[in-house]
Amino acid sequence: MENLLLEVNGIDVFYGDVQALANVSIQVEQGAIVALVGANGAGKSTLLKTIAGVKQPSRGDILFQNQPLCGRRAEQVANMGIVLVPEGRGLFANLTVLENLKLGAYPVKARAHLQESLNRAFELFPVLKERVSQKAGALSGGQQQMLAIARALMAMPDLLMLDEPSLGLSPLISKEIFELIHTLNERGTTILLVEQNVNQALKIAQNAYVMKTGSIEMQGSGLELLANPEVQEAYIGKRWSKT
Amino acid sequence: MIAYLSFELIVQLVVNGILYGTIYGIAAIGLSLIFGTMRIIFLAQGTMIILFTYFGYWLLELAGIDPFVSLLIVVPLSMIIGVLLYRSLFKESAEMDDKNASLLLAVGIMFLVNNLMLVMWSANPRMANTAYTEVVFSPMGITIPFTRLIALGLAILSAGLLTLFLKKTYLGMAVRAASENMLYATLVGINPHRVNTVAFAIGIGLAGVAGIGVLQIVPFDPFFGFTFALKALIALALGGIGSVFGALMGGILLGLLESLGSFFVGGGWAEAVAFGAFLLVLMFRPEGLFVRSVKKA
Repeated sequence: MENLLLEVNGIDVFYGDVQALANVSIQVEQGAIVALVGANGAGKSTLLKTIAGVKQPSRGDILFQNQPLCGRRAEQVANMGIVLVPEGRGLFANLTVLENLKLGAYPVKARAHLQESLNRAFELFPVLKERVSQKAGALSGGQQQMLAIARALMAMPDLLMLDEPSLGLSPLISKEIFELIHTLNERGTTILLVEQNVNQALKIAQNAYVMKTGSIEMQGSGLELLANPEVQEAYIGKRWSKT
Repeated sequence: MIAYLSFELIVQLVVNGILYGTIYGIAAIGLSLIFGTMRIIFLAQGTMIILFTYFGYWLLELAGIDPFVSLLIVVPLSMIIGVLLYRSLFKESAEMDDKNASLLLAVGIMFLVNNLMLVMWSANPRMANTAYTEVVFSPMGITIPFTRLIALGLAILSAGLLTLFLKKTYLGMAVRAASENMLYATLVGINPHRVNTVAFAIGIGLAGVAGIGVLQIVPFDPFFGFTFALKALIALALGGIGSVFGALMGGILLGLLESLGSFFVGGGWAEAVAFGAFLLVLMFRPEGLFVRSVKKA
């Protein structure tokens, strides 16, 4: 495939004796939205953490822009241009909104563009500009998710990984977040997305993988999977599948 | 006892408490920084403080360098020692989820340095004397020793500089972020070893400041350090972990408790009062008295 940004080749990951991922392979093309969907405990978050360098695979390899990632520590991976917005958003609650944003630009190459990145963040998220000096922990859930995404963008990532960005948000705010993800992608950010909200995720994803108990179960374009009766049955439910 | 009580006396006790408490405060700020990024109580902090007191003592006795001038040597030296301590001993254990290894290392350093000091300087209590050791100010009948006033100034100055560093620089922000959540900090690209090194450099650097502060204020011996570390720990618990201001205030509060406690309850009870307050705070306000906690994001 052309323009391959990230390639995960047959990785195994263990938590102690428990195998969390078995022979998982995925590919992310430059400029795409790739969704990982599946039930709780399927290993979606573990896969993101492994790419981010928080977990190390015991087998297989990961290539990013044709460079191997295995063995690199989380901060090295972040400095290479892969940013993970973890489940729970990963904000520093006692630091202000502005401080959180500035820390997003911690990697040296991003720090040089701090001011323009800040301006862009405030243009995308006017609500954050009003609250620059508030502590991140004092924001509402939706605002925190926006701040988490805004902070990740401050690093000018080549690959943005979002773990359950809609978790705990109202349907309305959740819809806004998906629109935002779509907009970011149109502006050129490559996104690897983990979502419980399968319907929404598959709608915006060019490519998607369905995970089940640590392995890739199905693969296809977002719309293909959305139309797949098995996927509808297991993850979406008949009631919503018609819309 | 009450017959002797006068307004001046109370003020004097309060002033003594504040002046002495700031030294606890400085020690507590150091503990707080190291605890922040490493999640261990650096129990050797008090022993390091006394080690630097002896350094200052040597510089004075052997080279005739004024204690407050020797700060220019002792503080950079102590910061380098902090960096070396981390790089040589703590770097490996900091990676482990189990914090016991780091904690045991700290205890080991405490015993090692303690006995090293015993061999080099004996157990005899010492105190530095300079031309101004005995100088006191007496505004309105209260006695304020000049050396304690300088120690107070040093404490406020270092707390202020540290606050500026933590708030205004990228590295300082990274230290605060890492103190809140090391995993999240690495996800934005912060190297844990870098912030741990900085925390150790500043923490031990503050031990240098406190060490020089002690030099002319109280008689010291090698065993003084452990008590000092415990006091710093109490100050930290009183003030609340994670705030420079809180740690300093915790130290001052502890100084006040000891000063007033030893007068009103009796000299031998000063520490009982301090530890009692420690227990009460842990029971009723475990997050500390001077910290406004924000719920986790």
